[in-house]
Amino acid sequence: MAATTVRMTLESDVRLVDIVHAASETMAHLAGFDEDDALNVGIAVREAVINAIRHGNGSDRAKKVGIVLQATSNTVKARVKDQGPGFDPNATADPTAGDNVLNTSGRGILLIRAFVDRVDFKFREGRGMEVTLVKKRAAAKPKTILAGARP
Amino acid sequence: MKTTVRMVGQVAVVDLSGKITIGEGDVVLRDKIQELLDQGHQKILLNLEKVSYMDSAGIGELVACFKRAREKGGTVKLLRPSGKVEDLLQLTKLWEVFEIFADEPQATASY
Repeated sequence: MAATTVRMTLESDVRLVDIVHAASETMAHLAGFDEDDALNVGIAVREAVINAIRHGNGSDRAKKVGIVLQATSNTVKARVKDQGPGFDPNATADPTAGDNVLNTSGRGILLIRAFVDRVDFKFREGRGMEVTLVKKRAAAKPKTILAGARP
Repeated sequence: MKTTVRMVGQVAVVDLSGKITIGEGDVVLRDKIQELLDQGHQKILLNLEKVSYMDSAGIGELVACFKRAREKGGTVKLLRPSGKVEDLLQLTKLWEVFEIFADEPQATASY
């Protein structure tokens, strides 16, 4: 299957996040993902876009978030690019450690990393942060053929 | 997201349905819990059975509600988190913070 691609450019407005989430789930379905994994992709991309809007662009609506979603026969890839000053994704505190569990923010990157196979952060001075998420469809579970069952 | 509140004895059971996400469900949840606390309710049970998923903002609001209630001497407990919500509570280790119940009578009797 040739890759199917969707490109979007959003203002930095969190009310638009649902649009990207829905598109990401659709792309995951095109790549053959089941409902649960499609939702995982949707949540991961959603979190990357929220990060881009809030932490990248500082919720400045004049700054844009660029999104490219790509589906092949078994893989979904998402690129989310902001126009902000960049941030160190490894500098965020582990939200599952000690008292951090009761923090009211800081779980976005945890969710992204949990729900896709690969996450790359690339920052270029003056060009914003670009986050790439990749998830490959899990191998189908082998069908159990019961003795005497009809094919 | 939609909420309805029922009183079971002294416990305010909040039935939630939909998703708890940024700019929508998180605000609804915050306002509802604040309203209950302002009315003097201290025993709050959030029924998550019909919540399909949460994002980081929704999870953060759940934690904020827990803390806000605790500051006022109250308790927020959780009832029947669905598959994805359960996954998220486990992943974030909030499963170990909240008291979580599968059975409503058991939950309401636990306060």
